Amino acid sequence: MAGMLRLVLFQARQDRVTLPVWILGITLLSFATSTAVATQFGDEESQAAILTLAASNPAFLFLRGLPDGTGVGAVVFFQGYAFTAVLAGLMSTFLVVRHTRSDEELGRDELLGAVPLPRAASLAATLVLGTAANLLLAVFVAAGFVAAGLPAGGAFAAGSAVGTVGVFFTGVAALAAQVLPTGRGANGAAAGLVGAAYLVRGVGDALGTPSADLLHVASAWPSLLSPIGWGQRARPFTSPDLAVLLVLLAAAAALGTLALLVRRRRDVGASLLRQRNGREHAGVGGRSFVGLAWRLQRSAVVGWCVGAAAIGAVAGALGPLVSETVSSVAPIRDLIARLVPGGQAGLVDVFVTALLGIAGVFAATAGIQAVLRMRAEETEGRAELLLAAPASRARWLGANLLTAAVSAALVAATTGAAAAVGLGLSGIADGQAWSLVPAALAHVPAALVFMAAAAVAFALVPRLSIVLGWGMFAAGLVLGEFGELFGLPVWLQDASPFRHSSAMPVEPFNQGGALGLLAIAAAGAALAAYCLRRRDLTS
Amino acid sequence: MNATAETVIEARGLVKDFGRTRALDGLDLSVAPGEVHGFLGPNGAGKSTTLRILLGLIRPTAGTVRVFGIDPWTDPVAVHRDVAYVPGDVSLWPNLSGGEVIDLLTGLRGGGDEKLRRSLIEEFEFDPRKKARNYSKGNRQKVALIAAFARPARLYLLDEPSAGLDPVMDAVFRRQIERVSRDGATVLLSSHILSEVEQLCDRMTIIRSGTAVETGTLGELRHLRRTHFRVTGLADPSRLAALPGAHAVTVSDAAVEFDADPRDLGAVLAGIAEPGISSLSVAPPSLESLFLRHYSSSDGNSNDRKSRVGKNSAAANSSSGRTDSEVN
Repeated sequence: MAGMLRLVLFQARQDRVTLPVWILGITLLSFATSTAVATQFGDEESQAAILTLAASNPAFLFLRGLPDGTGVGAVVFFQGYAFTAVLAGLMSTFLVVRHTRSDEELGRDELLGAVPLPRAASLAATLVLGTAANLLLAVFVAAGFVAAGLPAGGAFAAGSAVGTVGVFFTGVAALAAQVLPTGRGANGAAAGLVGAAYLVRGVGDALGTPSADLLHVASAWPSLLSPIGWGQRARPFTSPDLAVLLVLLAAAAALGTLALLVRRRRDVGASLLRQRNGREHAGVGGRSFVGLAWRLQRSAVVGWCVGAAAIGAVAGALGPLVSETVSSVAPIRDLIARLVPGGQAGLVDVFVTALLGIAGVFAATAGIQAVLRMRAEETEGRAELLLAAPASRARWLGANLLTAAVSAALVAATTGAAAAVGLGLSGIADGQAWSLVPAALAHVPAALVFMAAAAVAFALVPRLSIVLGWGMFAAGLVLGEFGELFGLPVWLQDASPFRHSSAMPVEPFNQGGALGLLAIAAAGAALAAYCLRRRDLTS
Repeated sequence: MNATAETVIEARGLVKDFGRTRALDGLDLSVAPGEVHGFLGPNGAGKSTTLRILLGLIRPTAGTVRVFGIDPWTDPVAVHRDVAYVPGDVSLWPNLSGGEVIDLLTGLRGGGDEKLRRSLIEEFEFDPRKKARNYSKGNRQKVALIAAFARPARLYLLDEPSAGLDPVMDAVFRRQIERVSRDGATVLLSSHILSEVEQLCDRMTIIRSGTAVETGTLGELRHLRRTHFRVTGLADPSRLAALPGAHAVTVSDAAVEFDADPRDLGAVLAGIAEPGISSLSVAPPSLESLFLRHYSSSDGNSNDRKSRVGKNSAAANSSSGRTDSEVN
């Protein structure tokens, strides 16, 4: 027992920065949502307005969750719970895989395997740590709600709902780590299940039945397949029912036990799904910079495309529903008319435009990821191997930038195509649907600017390139998407490339903006190539 | 042989600073065509830094460097066309198979020789289908070695290439060096393994703290070192302690061991000659002692040093990093 405790503390010590960042970040998000709702929807009338709007809008239900009566707490839970639960799930997933499969893959587990402790002790310690972290998360989230002025009872129940989802995914990740041979694979599978839980809940909620006053919605059966859906049933601020959380805890215990049983029976390094052998020869294109860059980026692009397709499909399939529902409710129609720029634009278009904007963000993320991979290649010593070949650094950079740009375009195009298909299936395709593909691609130039910026950072200040690459992206996102909300000066908002993308189909295509962004991206790429040639390879 | 115009590698006064650390401090290095040149030094002496400069991966702070007469920093691509490189610490793409990495690296150099590739994989007993994340250090090393040898090059830059190989694979590696050397290629082999350099190299440069302290053929460097004597059967062994020219004298039960400078050999031989001698062994200076002289602790004035290198003091000396085959 003392040995187990040491293991738990040892793992906790390794996480002494990561875990507090996750827990405090999620807490801060909960607190911020609460204060925002309290200021924006302080009185019951506006709360009822937002709830009716949501109840009659499947897209809203899909993205956010179920409206469950008025009151700041209820609105906060409706607005923020699903996202918070996803974050708790991801926190738990990464925590578990980090200490189990990744450690095993890197051979660290072998060191611990020689100490006089049971074979599954390390996994058990991770499960304890994961549970403790989620307990802490529940307490902190509850405290955040209380600090924002919500009733303590509801706050505690809401925190418990979030923490319980985290515990559930601790069990899921523990099992994934037994099944898959690599840390990357286990992380991908478990994180994918977190995403699936969110989407399945979304489908169930979107198909839910609204009450007569449109202030509540009861979910359809698919939500019961999702742990996030189960957590939502705790209804913390309306009629708290913590018993449903026991279902999740029982499931988590079952998953954890199963993982422990597997671990006790298997060899170190073995997995239920075996590591497949690779090919003896490189395929066509496997002998060039571009081929390598694509090979390394491929699985990431597939992941982003799946996410983008989901968003696109939601946009296309649910868009028409939105417009139907909304046009039948006069007060909502007025509300939308006030919110929508221009006012007269079709509601479907507004909805689709908003979701295509998210796809633009996905595209930029996929691209930046590809660019910053060069830094990983450099620090891990592989760039040295590549650049000893008779090919210039500019070509290496070019191959990676090309791969990044293609990734971004693929992600954007996938969104547009999925939206078009969704729109087609919902019956109002009038030949215009396919114009959503170029509409989605209109976000690529802005994404290219971020990739070029990351490339310049990599060439000029390699040690800071990861921080700068993502930092500039985050700054652009905040300035572009939330600048107006925060009331920042216009020139500052305009510094974000996102502000110069055309929000199609609501806005017409802004040729000048797109060309300007392309020119900036090209200049950035050239500057990066020039600077990369003039610096030492570092590590 | 040393004519500047003909050298494959010519470095003069190389200095490289990383922040406040000076990795190279005026290094000179000259490698002639067709020669297997040992680049000998302990870890951290600046061997890898030098190889990276030769490849144009990093730029020297000062000094000039030419490979095939070309400045590698200004035109790395031209230099790389004829170079095969094996880094000291081989890191691979975890999700690519070994075979894919070999094809990638040879492909980037213009394509490998398929027959050569197959025979190398066979000789190194390498499984090219496993994913790189499953390879041990030795196997990662093999990937880089096979990729380097699978396409002919004029210059092979090898950074401690056999560090992860077992003795059998090490023999395979040596055969490859001999093969490319027979074909007229030039090899620069960095190492801290003495026996490796001794067996493979025609000439060598010894580097310490970023400076070349010695360069020449093994024969040329040998004369710098004292000859080791071991004598048994002397009536009064302790008298040798007073013999002029005998250094580091140790007396065990029956045997006396000592070192002598080449110029004192005549006097020493005369000094030990007496009827009772039962055995006499004289060993030429080994590369290992050569190495120790340069890298053992503060050793500025080796001629006046009375260090004891005999059996009795071996334990004391081991703290300066001496093992059977290598010095760290």
